[in-house]
This record gives sequence, C-alpha cells and structure tokens, in this order.
Amino acid sequence: MRQGFRQSMAWLHTWAGLVTGWVMFAVFLTGTATYYRTDISLWMRPELRAGSTDSVPAAERGVAYLKAHAPRAMAWYVSVPQPDRPVIGVYWMDSLEAPLGQALLDVESGAPTRARDTQGGDFFYRFHYELQMMPTLGRWIVGAAALILFVALISGIVTHRRIFADFFTFRRDKSAQRGWLDAHNVTGVLALPFHLMITYTGIVTLGVMYMPWGVSAAYKGDELRFYVEAAQTTTWRAGAGRPAEALPLAPLLARAQREVAEPLEMVIVNNPGDANATVVAVFEEPHGLAHQHPQVAFDAVSGAVVERVGTLKPAARVFTSFMGLHEAHFASSALRALFFLCGLLGAATIATGLVLWTVARAPKAGEAPGFGLRLVRGLNIGTVLGLPIGMAAFFLGNRLLPVDLAHRATWEGAVFFGAWALAALVPLVRPHRRAWTEMGLAAGLLFGIVPVVGALTTDRGLDFLAFDAAMLGLGLALALGARKVSHYEARRQAAKAARPGPARVTEGLVEA
Amino acid sequence: MTPLSIALNLALSFAGLAALCLAMDRHHRTIVGRGQSRARARALRLAGWAAIAASFAAAVVTADWNFGPVQWIGSLTGAALLVVALVSYRPAWIRPAALLALPLALAAALLA
Amino acid sequence: MGLVSALVSPALVSKVLPVTDVSSLPDRVRLRRGWRYRSEVAARVGLAAFGGYALAALATAFLSLTLPMVRSEAVATATLISFAILAGAVIWVFAARTLLLAALGLGLPIALLGLGLWLAFDGASMGPPA
Repeated sequence: MRQGFRQSMAWLHTWAGLVTGWVMFAVFLTGTATYYRTDISLWMRPELRAGSTDSVPAAERGVAYLKAHAPRAMAWYVSVPQPDRPVIGVYWMDSLEAPLGQALLDVESGAPTRARDTQGGDFFYRFHYELQMMPTLGRWIVGAAALILFVALISGIVTHRRIFADFFTFRRDKSAQRGWLDAHNVTGVLALPFHLMITYTGIVTLGVMYMPWGVSAAYKGDELRFYVEAAQTTTWRAGAGRPAEALPLAPLLARAQREVAEPLEMVIVNNPGDANATVVAVFEEPHGLAHQHPQVAFDAVSGAVVERVGTLKPAARVFTSFMGLHEAHFASSALRALFFLCGLLGAATIATGLVLWTVARAPKAGEAPGFGLRLVRGLNIGTVLGLPIGMAAFFLGNRLLPVDLAHRATWEGAVFFGAWALAALVPLVRPHRRAWTEMGLAAGLLFGIVPVVGALTTDRGLDFLAFDAAMLGLGLALALGARKVSHYEARRQAAKAARPGPARVTEGLVEA
Repeated sequence: MTPLSIALNLALSFAGLAALCLAMDRHHRTIVGRGQSRARARALRLAGWAAIAASFAAAVVTADWNFGPVQWIGSLTGAALLVVALVSYRPAWIRPAALLALPLALAAALLA
Repeated sequence: MGLVSALVSPALVSKVLPVTDVSSLPDRVRLRRGWRYRSEVAARVGLAAFGGYALAALATAFLSLTLPMVRSEAVATATLISFAILAGAVIWVFAARTLLLAALGLGLPIALLGLGLWLAFDGASMGPPA
C-alpha cells in the first residue's frame, strides 16, 4: 500500500478506524451501559418493589399463565424472579421464524405486571449488537465493524509505536494535535488488554453466526447438535403428536435442585401439552469465567430424567470463557466498575481518534474546509455527543411519557432516536467549535435533570441513589468537558489575535 | 473477589506504576524537578516491576486463578489512569500517594 | 521488508521518526487523488473482505474436519481462531507491497485449503462416522 510496513499500517489504522469509528463508538458506549443493565431496568420500572424471590411458585405461576395464553406454542420459557429483577418473565415460541412472544408477570399474583411498558436496560443491550435494526442485518454490521476495529487495534499498536515510550504522557499544553494524540494514545494503551479482549470476545460471542462453516462441515449444518455436544444445551425432543397431561412442576424442580448447587434461573417446556413434552430446569452459571448453565431435562409426563447438560471440554471451556469475559456476569461490583471504566476508555479512544483525523486535516488559515472534513466533523459531533443526548432523553422519556400510553416501549425508542437525530442536525447550523461546547452543555444538562425529573415523577425517594449519582456524575463530566473546550477556544482566539500567521505544528503525528 | 481484594490490587498496582513512571527521565523531571542517576532509575524500575508482580500474586491468591488475572489487568488500567491524571495535573502528589498506597495495601492484605 | 530497510537506512529513519506526515508531500497528494490509487484501494478492500473471509471460512471448515479432537472441540477451536486468521489476512492484504503479491498471498492458501477440504470431505465420507 505504502512504502514500508509501518506506513501501510498507519494508513490502515487511519482508514479502518475512521470507517468503523462511529458505529463502534455507539457499540462501545451502549455496551458499557449494559454492564449496568439490571440497574437501568430497575430504575426504568419504578413501580416494581423488591419482592419474594421464591423460584418454584414463581415458575408455576409463569407456566400457568402460558398454559392459558399460549397453549399451542412450540416452547415456553419462564425466567424466575431475581433480587435485581423482581418480576416473572414469560416468553413463548410459536414457530422458529416468528419472534418470541413475551410478557412480564407480577411475582405474587402471576398476572401481567402493573409496571410501565419499557424495554429498560435491554434497549441498550440490544442496540449494542443489533443497533435496533433487523436482527440479522444489525448483527452483521456490528460484527464487520468489530473485525475492522480489531484490525485497527493491531495496526494501531504498530503505528503509535511510541505508546510504550510515552506511557503516562499526556501533554495538554502543547499543540492541539499533540494533546489529542496523547489522549488517544493514553486511553488506548492503558486499557489495551481490555480493548483487544472485548473486541475479539465480542466477535466470538456471535462467532457461530459469523463463521458457520465449521458447524456446516462437521455437523452438516445441524447447529443444535453442535451445541448439545459442546455442553451448551440439551437435545430437542420431537413432539409425539398426541396430547398428554404433564406432571406437576414443583416436584420435578425440587429433584433438579437437589443435583445442582446454583439457584434456579429459568424453566423451559418444549412441546407443552404433548406426550413427549420436556421440562428443562436451567440454573445460574456456577462461579467462574465460563458462560455455561447447568441444566436437567425431564420427560414432563413420566417425570424421568432424560438428559443432563455435559461438562465443558477444554476448547468449549475457552470458547464459553470468551463469552463470559465479554459479558462479565461474574464481576463483583468493584470489578464491574473497572470494566465500566475500561469501556468508557474504549469509547474515548475511538472518539479521540475520530477527532484526531479532523485535527490533522484542519484547513490552513483562510482556507475553507472541504466537504469530507465537514462531513466527518458533523458525524463526529453527531455521534460523540448525539448518542449521550439520545441516552439521556431516553431516560427522561421513561419518566415523562404517560404511563398508560399505547406502545409505550416503542415510543421510548422513538424518543431516543428522535433526540439523537435532532442533536446530529445541530452541527449543520452552528460553527464547528461552538457546536462542541453547546452540545456538551446540553448533554450535561439533560443528564443532570434526570434525577430531578425522577424525584418529581415517582415516589421512590432515595431508592435510586446510585443511579442518580451516576447521572449527576455523567452530567457534570460532560458540562466540565464543554467548559474546557470553550476556555481552550477563547485562549486560541486570543493567541491568534496576538500572533497572526498559520504556524501549524504537525510534530510527531504518525499519519500517512 | 471482594472489594478488599481489589483495593489491595489497586494499591499495589498504583505504587508499582508510580515507581515505573518516576523511573522515566521525562516524568522524573516533571515530578521531582531534576534528573536522576542511572542507578536510581534502575532501582525505581526494579521496585515498580516488583510491586506489579506482587499485585499479580495478590490477585491470584485472593481471587483465584479464574478471576485473578482479569482483576489484575483491570486494576493495572485503573491505577495507570490515576498515575496519568496525577502526572498531568498534580505531579507533586504522586510520591506521597505512592508511599501512602503501600500501608493501604498492607492493611487490605491483612483484612482480606 | 519495509521495516528492516527503515531500520538500516538513516535517510528513511529521519523520515519515519520525527515527522511522518508524508501526505503533505505534493506528489503524494497527486497520487492519492488519482484514479489509479483509488481503484487500487478499492481492489484491496474487496480482496481483504471477500478473499479474507473465504480464507477464514475454508480454514474453519478444514480444521473442523481434521483437528485431532472430538468434533465439537475441533469446531470450537477452529471457530475461535478463524477471526484471528481473518484479521491476519486483512493485514496481509494491506501490508503487501503490490496488489498481485497480496492476491497471491491469499490465493495460494485458499487453493491449498480448498484441496485439503475436498480430501477431508472424501475421507470423512469413507471413514467411520465422526
């Protein structure tokens, strides 16, 4: 491409980073929020109180609901209440193609919950790997962008080879370009193991979808068989085609619980009502890195154990540990905070890289910026500040939309995308640097008022102290950042007035 | 994987990274105001790597082989971020903070 | 190898180390804007995407059939490393000195893996079920 390996890699790093930067910034930010998915979900359903988490009666209530509302489904799924999710989740599959039906039930009564209709933290979770598009398309876009980002990471290590000599270095008083380069390098290198890990494990998490050719070759495409042999699930037993009465659920669950130390997480009924119906008790992941749930499958009619999920073999253990590392379900609150910090550093690395692209191509004094530069600048602000504005608006929408609005969850999504789209239009009508300041302040303000609006619209008092503190912290950080940009801008104008002449410094920037 | 075990990890990592930072001439000049002898730089580098190794050992002992390495890498990132922030904004605080981190690490180790 | 020559040639060293904004050189600008340059970039992007994926896909299928493990383990191992193969292929395509070299570097292993996969399928259909 260019003379020499290093120049080729610099070129690759620049362009691979640019084309995936906006998508991956959004993926990193929503993924980082997903570390606190259950906390976000709890906050977004203020009607829910911590209740009984007695799993067996809850599972029975869930199955009773499904028996009444989805008797013809192929499969039922009941997730039992957890301390951080005080609600029964019921899901049903009518066919392999149709999306799952779902409902949330009150823990005590087993009737649909009174809590407001919202996707909660699942909204960011789904956005993180599907961009809230058609699932297949969204997953392929995120996967391709993640692979290009992985390439950008490797070529970036070659390109910014001084990252280790410049370790701990952040020269904010030199040229703008130097400051942005240092910020890019510091955020990139300090969390480099995290960046490499999270990108690769993210691809691997959907790896069988992206690279199905091993399963096609060795299993003739029978993906389910692969997952059974890899100890991820139990076998699907075909229905017999004639109805039969199933045994009561509670004794089966009690027998399964005697074999497994972990608490029950989900109950699956395959071919409900059929003579070959299967009940699968799924337990929480044992304490460990690997993403694997112990499972016991019963014949629902005879009550005989038909299968237990196997033990992980070495390669499957590595594979599932990659998924476990990505999701970090194992992380205690302190370690989770470190993962969260690393995720923010990842988003910051991408954002500073995007800004660096424009700073390195800033027009000389008196020249007008070209179309490409204006486009990238606009997209940078629209993404780096537009997405946080959308997220804050999403939280506000959760509190301000009428509780009984029809299709309320969809409206919350519309608020998110509407606010983001509006924010992305601002850079078109405002001067570039002013837009950074103004939108940073707007984002900070929006996050700052989330706790206020929350306090005015709910009667939960200080129940969400941590969430409110996080919102205030984010708001403060964004507002301070905006103030810094405006101060810097004022100083720059003063310096320009004192010393005319374009003395652009391109010192040490490796970019080809 | 208790908060104490992470505090121990963070304190040792911070002390180690602060020593490594001081061992680099440019940062030594910023923090202390003058250059340093080669022997001193080498001693600082040695102490820094020793503290980072101790942090790894502490992670594996308190959080086992499954989570220890993950926690160690996470704590290195968190501690390094703190070092960078201090070097850039409050260089004078680095040495007292690193010295304070050692008794904190000891206290966390005794409690963990 | 460019890296090695950069290490031995002092002229290049001075060019690479302090200021490497080679895009400011006028002939670079002309080269960058030219259609030849653009079509070469497009060709490499296409080669990296389709050739790289083809290589990784063939390697996954081949290793899944031939690695000496239980088949679920072979599939897990092959799928796990396939993305490293893909990333390596992309880097190769952009690091190779000429487009032809980049294409050959992908084409040769693709041909070999294709042959190997054909033989592995043949062996699998004649031997005992995996």
